[in-house]
Amino acid sequence: MFLALKEMRHSKTRFVMIGTILVLVSWLVFILSGLGNGLATLAASTFQNMAADYVVFEKGSKASMSKSLLSGGLTAELLEIPNVEAASPMGIIMGSAAKGGSEENKLDIALVGIEPGSFLEPAVTEGTGLDAGRPSHVIVNESMKDEGFKIGDTFVLDGTTEILTIAGFVRDQTYNHVAYVFIPIETWRKLAFAAPGSDKGVKDPVNAIMLQGKDIDPNVVSERLPGTETVTRAQAVQGIAGYKEETGTIFMMLGFLFVISAFIVGVFFYVLTMQKSNQFGIMKAIGAKNGFLSRAVISQVFVLSLASIAIGILLTYGTAVVLPKGMPFRLETGWVIAYSLVLLAIALASSLVSVRTVVKIDPLKALGRVES
Amino acid sequence: MTQGLEMRSVSKFYRAGSERITALDRVSIRVEPGEFVAVVGPSGSGKTTFLSIAGALLRPSEGEVILNGKNIAALPDRHLSDIRLREIGFIMQASNLIPYLNVLDQLLVVKRMAGKVTPADKAFAVELLSDLGLDKRMKNYPEKLSGGEKQRVAIARALMNDPGIILADEPTASLDTKRAHEVVSLIARAVKTRRKAAVMVTHDERLLSYCDKVYRMEDGRLSLMEPMLAH
Repeated sequence: MFLALKEMRHSKTRFVMIGTILVLVSWLVFILSGLGNGLATLAASTFQNMAADYVVFEKGSKASMSKSLLSGGLTAELLEIPNVEAASPMGIIMGSAAKGGSEENKLDIALVGIEPGSFLEPAVTEGTGLDAGRPSHVIVNESMKDEGFKIGDTFVLDGTTEILTIAGFVRDQTYNHVAYVFIPIETWRKLAFAAPGSDKGVKDPVNAIMLQGKDIDPNVVSERLPGTETVTRAQAVQGIAGYKEETGTIFMMLGFLFVISAFIVGVFFYVLTMQKSNQFGIMKAIGAKNGFLSRAVISQVFVLSLASIAIGILLTYGTAVVLPKGMPFRLETGWVIAYSLVLLAIALASSLVSVRTVVKIDPLKALGRVES
Repeated sequence: MTQGLEMRSVSKFYRAGSERITALDRVSIRVEPGEFVAVVGPSGSGKTTFLSIAGALLRPSEGEVILNGKNIAALPDRHLSDIRLREIGFIMQASNLIPYLNVLDQLLVVKRMAGKVTPADKAFAVELLSDLGLDKRMKNYPEKLSGGEKQRVAIARALMNDPGIILADEPTASLDTKRAHEVVSLIARAVKTRRKAAVMVTHDERLLSYCDKVYRMEDGRLSLMEPMLAH
């Protein structure tokens, strides 16, 4: 640590320059992670926040809500399967809300049918929850407030004559970047399968049935109920249209950044070590052990990376304050810490190349020339 | 147990292709504590190989190297670095200081290699530097020092761990006559007052008057020169 700090203080310029690059890389890593998180939340927040552990789909639907059609009657059968603690049906259709019935002011929504009072119903932040006795009262995502909706407001689902009333607001409930509107499943069924024959003859049709129970065996479920497939909630999130592609892109960029940072640190310290090989030789000649010199190199990398990552984090939180409110940006402390540790680990690992170089330096170098 | 440095019939061979080159040929020498010995000879004669073996930087092919009564000829690397740290003080050619350490830290880093720096170590470093006339230079970096001052720092650094043996490799290579005399007389004084066994490798014949004995190295063979011939 002694040598490391003394040298950094003496050669400020070069360490500040490399530190700046590391700050920029870590800054970008954190911004991308925030953006990835924000996008994922927008795309699938309901699934992610839902208290369900497993999701039962129609066989062959590839865990996609829109491709799956099941009978709501399966719910009772599912409850008899071992380890299933609770089961509740759910359905989604996309639509648009026309405020006050006007044709100009329309808003894209995802209409979600659930059983009022089931574990799928999110807690309201304002107003009251769903009630089977009020079939046309809905609870909606808070983002609709920005569009001018209030409690008690009504809107018409475009293409139908159904007038819906907003009973309450919920937080962070979006699907594919569109606000959720929760509605009692009976009403949903009426709206979703308005056209004759669109239910393909399925009785009480729903898109999927959500299950609670940590130890459910998906194989048992598909054995008991042929024509279904059961996936974990995480797999169901992956099945949302565009979700995999969106998060995949972000993770690819993060991956590249990690590789880049590894090379920046690795190459910089390798070149620096080569430049200093004479000095290392002298120190070895006067008795320095490999461990002493290696620790100097590693602690230098550690101090430099730690400082750069810390500055990167500060800049990221600063950026979060300045970003426009509508931007899908969400920092999670857990991820920030995880990525910091990954960056630090990568920097330390890539410094091992330099350590190897140090170990190989011959102390005879100190004598200036080797006679043969 | 004998103090000082002793080499008994030490040889060093190098392999160059199919040829075997003899860099040192049955060299024997004994240097007592308080004795200052010079080794002169043309370049390529084996002086540096001799110094590397005496300084635990290189293992001999044959023979014994006894430092303070201990044969170091066959010790593994990590023991050798310990020997260099505790038993040997190296004074190398000019500009072999660490550029980012000030004069005081150049000495203290030697202590750090061995473990911790105590206040006593710091006091000893200050004493050594004052002794060598560097009391006003302690906070300076090597780039601010003259060639003679750098070599004086190197002398202080070599003495820092209170080693039994001082080895100097062309310590006057880049100095003018006046500074060269100054530096070598300082080494000679330290050797006498601190009772070190010292060997200086040089081709600078102006400075041999400071030494007790002068050896000549030629084609890997070491021979004692008559005092007459030394001047």
